[in-house]
Amino acid sequence: MTALAEAPARAAAAAPARPVLAVKNIEAIYDNIILALRGVSLDVPEGTVVALLGGNGAGKSTTLKSISTMIAAERGKVTKGSIEFRGERIDQLTPNDLVNRGMVQVMEGRMCFGHLTVEENLIAGAYTRSISRAEMRQDLERVYAYFPRLKVRRTSQAGYTSGGEQQMVAIGRAMMAKPNTLLLDEPSMGLAPQIVAEIFEIVRDLNQREGVSILLAEQNASVALKYADYGYIMESGRIMMHGPAAALSENKDVKEFYLGISGEGRASFRDQKSYRRRKRWI
Amino acid sequence: MIDTVELLFFLEVLIGGLLAGVMYSLVALGFVLIYKASRVFNFAQGAMVFFAVLSFVGFMELGLPFWAAFLVTVALMILVGMTTERLVLRQLVNQSDQTLLMATIGLAFVFEGMGQLIWGVEVRRLDLGIPDVPLEWVLDSTGMFISALDISAGVVAAVMVTVLAILFSKTKIGLGLRAVADGHAAAMSIGIPLKSIWMIVWATAGVVALVAGMMWGARNGVQFALVWLALKAWPVLIIGGFTSVPGVIVAGLMVGAIEKVAEVYIGPAFGGGIEGWAPYMMAVVFLMFRPEGLFGERMIRRV
Repeated sequence: MTALAEAPARAAAAAPARPVLAVKNIEAIYDNIILALRGVSLDVPEGTVVALLGGNGAGKSTTLKSISTMIAAERGKVTKGSIEFRGERIDQLTPNDLVNRGMVQVMEGRMCFGHLTVEENLIAGAYTRSISRAEMRQDLERVYAYFPRLKVRRTSQAGYTSGGEQQMVAIGRAMMAKPNTLLLDEPSMGLAPQIVAEIFEIVRDLNQREGVSILLAEQNASVALKYADYGYIMESGRIMMHGPAAALSENKDVKEFYLGISGEGRASFRDQKSYRRRKRWI
Repeated sequence: MIDTVELLFFLEVLIGGLLAGVMYSLVALGFVLIYKASRVFNFAQGAMVFFAVLSFVGFMELGLPFWAAFLVTVALMILVGMTTERLVLRQLVNQSDQTLLMATIGLAFVFEGMGQLIWGVEVRRLDLGIPDVPLEWVLDSTGMFISALDISAGVVAAVMVTVLAILFSKTKIGLGLRAVADGHAAAMSIGIPLKSIWMIVWATAGVVALVAGMMWGARNGVQFALVWLALKAWPVLIIGGFTSVPGVIVAGLMVGAIEKVAEVYIGPAFGGGIEGWAPYMMAVVFLMFRPEGLFGERMIRRV
């Protein structure tokens, strides 16, 4: 593992001692035989945006699901290491407990409740909280302020809204639980670049205005590094490299493998010798 | 001009069919509840109907008054529903649909066996205090044969459906149920406790089974054949759509009405007895042309 900085970078402003989320050396296995994560460790300091980067099958989603304990629903389990959320080990907790403690995962592929209206989706997000009608209205307006487009579509069935709107519903729904920590799995998946930018702007807003700590998994490294404070790069179930987002985006290998840029500009596979192309960290 | 007597006879057949249909709907309702929330096709619903009403009659025989027996049986069915979910279905989360179906087939035998083991195998009479003989005033004013039991079944079904519709659309639990029906993983991710939702659904299905069982038991006697009622609920489910509460009500009415009308008017051409298979033919037609049923949720597919 290559660390680009001595210690994980803290948020620019505050630098609390203990991270919100501390993953130590975990191993995750599906169906008792498929090893999906090996020795993954990462920290999410309070109030920061941390990006988890890597290609398909690198283990990003598995890492997030291990943290949210959703992995159990997919016949997977964390077999080694520990995950602590605000100093408490999460292995005995359920997703419901974690939502109650303020951690919500926005799953990959959006997963809206297709037959519910946009507004019902949002209301469902507040399921774990017992709040009055007035508070509900207020929270809905808060989400609509972030996503004005959802207000327009609030009576349409979520299944018939566009991909970008569904991603907004998914994030808005998570916001309704009033989380202090959000796990975002591939928010950019299948979306047009403008929509991706729009969503990441909102993610940044959420982080800066509401102080929500965010761990996001992304294949789209260039966007993610632009908005994140710190980044981890995964490959084949391991963390290969980590460092402050700025340092990562300047790193030569990261540029070449994840951002598609080499020293002379855009990299082309034709210009490279075959042994260069095969270069990997393992 | 249509003969008044002919018309009245038709109306009588139709109303008789509709009222029988209501009772099919009651059985099918239990299926829909469980299927909606957990995508489990509960083969044991018919057995639950039998078990419920058998227990009810059993408690009455033990000397409990009507309402006490009813409340005890409601409590028992809630307990049975929750235990089933906990001991059987929860252990099978994430298994394939076939595995779950097989499990519920097994459950059906357990309920049938347990019921008869505890309460005995003889056919019981269930007297709800509602006579199943033609109401005189209806007979006098229109000349039609309609019994008070038929009408009560209709009223009970209407009340059940209204309560369930309100539960589904207006309450927080209802929203949770619908969310779970749309996606287990997504519902879990926002903290909806799947397991308590499933328990609620199984408990509700148990109570619905009791009500259906009481209606059928009062008409046909409390006997093992009640288990086969579930079979008539299938065409109702296919026609109404597996996920729709209003759907199974309408489909139940349709099945009841059509089978009776067909029996009376077309039956003789086939030598009678088409009541038994006409609903299944309808179901086959629906499977061919409208597989999601009348009100079933269409797959929302975006390109």
